[in-house]
Amino acid sequence: MRTLCFLLAIFLFLPAVTAEALSDKERTTHILNRVDDLWRGDSSYAVVTMRVKTEHYTRTMRMEGWSKGKEKTLFRVLEPLREKGAMTLKSENHIYSYLPKTDRTIRLTSGMMMGSWMGSHLTNDDLVKEARLEEDYEASISFEGVRDGLDIIEFTLTPKPDAPVVWGKLLLTILADGYAPLLERYFDEDMALARTFTFTDMKLLSGKMRPALLRVVPADKPDEYTEFIYEQLELNIEVSDAMFTKASLKRR
Amino acid sequence: MRILTLASRNVSRNWQRSLVTMLAMAFACLIMIFFASLMEGMIQGSERSVVSMNMGDIQIHAQGYRDDPDLYTRIDSADELVTRLQQQGYMASSRIYGYGLLAANMASSGVHLRGIDLKQEMTVTELYQHVGYGQWLVEDDSNGVVLGKKLAATLGVDLGDELVFVGQSADGYMANDLFRVRGILKSVSDGIDRMGMFMPMPTLRQLLVIPEGAHEIVVIRGDRTADLVAETAKVGGLVEGLIEEGAAGLEVKNWKQLMPVIARMIETADVQIMIMLVIFYIAVATVVLNAMLMNVFERIHEFGIMKALGVSPWQLLALVFAETFILTFIAASVGLAGGWWVSDYYRIHGIDLSSMASSISYGGIAFDPLWYAAITTEALAYPVIFLFVIAALAVIYPAVKAALLSPVKAIYYR
Amino acid sequence: MNLNKLAWRNIWRRKRRTLITAFSIGFGVMLAVTFTGSGDYTYTNMIDTGASMGMGHVTVEPVGYHLKPTLDKRLHGVEMLREKIVALEGVSDATVRITGQAMFASARKSVGGAFIAVDPAFESEENNLLIRSIVEGSVFSDRAGRGIVIGSRLAKKLQVKIGKKVVYTTTDAEGEIVSNIARVTGIFTTGENTIDGIMALLPIASVQKTLSYAPDEATVIAVVIKDQRHAEGMRDKVAALPEAEAADVLTWKESQPDLAAVIAFDKAGNYISQLLVGLLIAVGILNTMLMSVLERTREFGVMMAVGMSPKVLFKLVMVESFWLSIVGLILGIIITTPWYYFLYNYGIDFSGAFGTDFSYGGVLVDPVFKARLFKESMMAILGTLFMLALLAGLYPAWRAGRVPPVESLKTI
Repeated sequence: MRTLCFLLAIFLFLPAVTAEALSDKERTTHILNRVDDLWRGDSSYAVVTMRVKTEHYTRTMRMEGWSKGKEKTLFRVLEPLREKGAMTLKSENHIYSYLPKTDRTIRLTSGMMMGSWMGSHLTNDDLVKEARLEEDYEASISFEGVRDGLDIIEFTLTPKPDAPVVWGKLLLTILADGYAPLLERYFDEDMALARTFTFTDMKLLSGKMRPALLRVVPADKPDEYTEFIYEQLELNIEVSDAMFTKASLKRR
Repeated sequence: MRILTLASRNVSRNWQRSLVTMLAMAFACLIMIFFASLMEGMIQGSERSVVSMNMGDIQIHAQGYRDDPDLYTRIDSADELVTRLQQQGYMASSRIYGYGLLAANMASSGVHLRGIDLKQEMTVTELYQHVGYGQWLVEDDSNGVVLGKKLAATLGVDLGDELVFVGQSADGYMANDLFRVRGILKSVSDGIDRMGMFMPMPTLRQLLVIPEGAHEIVVIRGDRTADLVAETAKVGGLVEGLIEEGAAGLEVKNWKQLMPVIARMIETADVQIMIMLVIFYIAVATVVLNAMLMNVFERIHEFGIMKALGVSPWQLLALVFAETFILTFIAASVGLAGGWWVSDYYRIHGIDLSSMASSISYGGIAFDPLWYAAITTEALAYPVIFLFVIAALAVIYPAVKAALLSPVKAIYYR
Repeated sequence: MNLNKLAWRNIWRRKRRTLITAFSIGFGVMLAVTFTGSGDYTYTNMIDTGASMGMGHVTVEPVGYHLKPTLDKRLHGVEMLREKIVALEGVSDATVRITGQAMFASARKSVGGAFIAVDPAFESEENNLLIRSIVEGSVFSDRAGRGIVIGSRLAKKLQVKIGKKVVYTTTDAEGEIVSNIARVTGIFTTGENTIDGIMALLPIASVQKTLSYAPDEATVIAVVIKDQRHAEGMRDKVAALPEAEAADVLTWKESQPDLAAVIAFDKAGNYISQLLVGLLIAVGILNTMLMSVLERTREFGVMMAVGMSPKVLFKLVMVESFWLSIVGLILGIIITTPWYYFLYNYGIDFSGAFGTDFSYGGVLVDPVFKARLFKESMMAILGTLFMLALLAGLYPAWRAGRVPPVESLKTI
């Protein structure tokens, strides 16, 4: 979901308006801030299909999601029938899971944070940490120019010394023209690649061309992946805060 | 045989002295037998606790499961394997495992699920007898589960309380269901105490969508005395023959290989017991030696008279040994009977140590607070043999001395 | 006639018999000393090692923490309390710690485990087994820093080395999920797989900050005392402190019931063995005395005939038993002293048979068989054997006093 939100953030990216007079550092901060601000300040509604392929299973799941600000996200499963109505609420640092079959809400404990979210290649921890990208990382532009025939900007995100993240660094590549994200790579402390996010399939979503397909591939299992395909996206809609409370989970 | 008649007359004539000597020897024999059975019982008890509580003699896993307990690393033909093993006279039961989150009230904890084939499992392990509160699993109550002791405390649940499980099923979907606490185990091992959640096999199969296969097969030898290593090899061969048609390899290991530390500990206990037995035998030897020495030395005067009457040294020697034999024989019989009886009593009833400690566990294994004796041929035979040897050795010196002394000297011997 | 003198002479009329009996008593002394001594030594060792695994001999902790250790329960004003406890007579050390469950993660793997947050200034090799077992690197020096010392198996699972990053995640006092980062400064191997696979040491001030604890809040004060046998007394003394009013005070027996059970079980086995040996020795003495009474039937008859009362005869035989056991005990002390000296100073090295990582009840045990006898145990052994010897003399003495005079003179 971190990626989902990140994706949302990237979608909301306004092409740099007046970035000319800024220094590198300021420019980086400026861009990332705008990402954050836009993503955080607004609400959104999206319908997404998640496809997971692992060695043992392939599954498809359709869900709808709401977000408000930086800290509140809610997902509800639409398909398959077996899991219809299952909800995940992320509010501040907590993750709640509502289970329609048992009609119970569970708050995930610290011990579960590294577990897989909905059988995908993302962990619950990814959900919690997505909102803290700016807090946790020091960003800089490490490459700008033409690579593989594309004019791109590459950001290097280095974790701050006291940030509770396991990664060594993140490399984010975006198109210089339009700032559409292309690639995000996670490295461990020995700077070995741990996982790759790719953004493809440009499509008109909420009035703009955006990559509608996000694919996550773990480096140690290149045959496996999790894909998120956007079907619908609405921005700046009316969402009440009450929707993102534990109490609302049961009522939906 | 005249000497034997004479000897028995001597024994009965000095009946008080004989009785005292025999009683001391019989008691020594009894104590030796009882001690040996207690020690044997301790070893067997330790092994039994390890094996029959949870481990079984031999375990079969898919290759690599023990290093990385993955939901998908399964034994495919588990049912067939269990049937084959049973045909060969083994007792076997398969188990499936899973991980997830268990929540109750406001608390939650990671759990290690175990699906149990209720009917087979009872033939293999005694976990079902180890329920502290409530009851063991039954088929009919498919959502009644049994929890480890510390897990129940962490969740703050009691019998009948509701539990919510969330996890991931084998097909990638979310597995979740409601369960009820049916029983809470006594302390078994740290892993089970902290994370163990037990349910009937079909329930777990349904929950985690594992229609077939198993993660573990536990095997118990049909004959408890059969050599474990040889049996392991035999099961290994059996398994080998079954998976010829492809599929991943299986790993067959006995409990000594699976728990080398515990196995080594029980082996060292063996050594310690040997040391204790040697010490015991020394103590017994001093008692028997003294008894026999007294019995002969105090009668040198009497022997002198016999010699004066024309009994030859050889005859005298034979007489002393015959007497000794009679004494020892009676003492050994009484000691054997008594020792057997006492050991058998404690074999059935056990020494209750639970007042000292309610649960005894080391190395992650819980031991029975009742200390049972175990009767083996060795525990019965060695003390008896030892008694004869020591008695014979003890009388050599005084008997020879008596035989060689001149009659006059012997009569005045003091 | 002096009864003592007579008895003394009597027992030496049969030197061989007396010496053998005395030897069996002496052997009993040696045996009891060996086993009780090794018990005293091993148990003290195990208890002290257990105490250095985090909880001390006496543990001060929040009410209810023992049954349900969650981090929302905590002690307040721990510094004050710690100082008060250290000032108590018999306390050698008291350390403030926070113990809890955590998830440790590296980029490769995440593993559930437990931590002990410590102040490096108060921890040493003596009071902390994990520090004593460090095999690589060293303990962090900054109580508010980002160091972490982890078990070797945990390090292997996380695939981290010295200097590498570990993220720990836990639930704080308010129930929030919190995480923080640490860098590995040291790796320990205790030899006990569970400990090496889940435990980590963290700097206490950093953990307090992560958990939003006040600087004088913690979950445990581990008290190490000079003599483990005084744990109960110390618990009561600590519990009586006004500062400890709102806390639970436990002894190691309550905080480590497994260890207590193992020791109790082992002790029981030891006592049963010793009891059986004692019984054997008593039967040996009984046999000797009875024999000596039976063979002196005539003598006693004569003594009675010349006017000695049965009471005096009873006394005589009892005094004989008394001297016999004294000789036995002295012999025992003579043969036991060099043996005990050897066990005390050198011991028998069993590491060949046991291996060096021998653990029992979750506590590592020294593979060298040594003995350290408590004074009380020594007195108990000598006293018990002496009493046994006298008890064994009772029946023969009674027999001696019961001999009918005329009849006894008739026997050969």
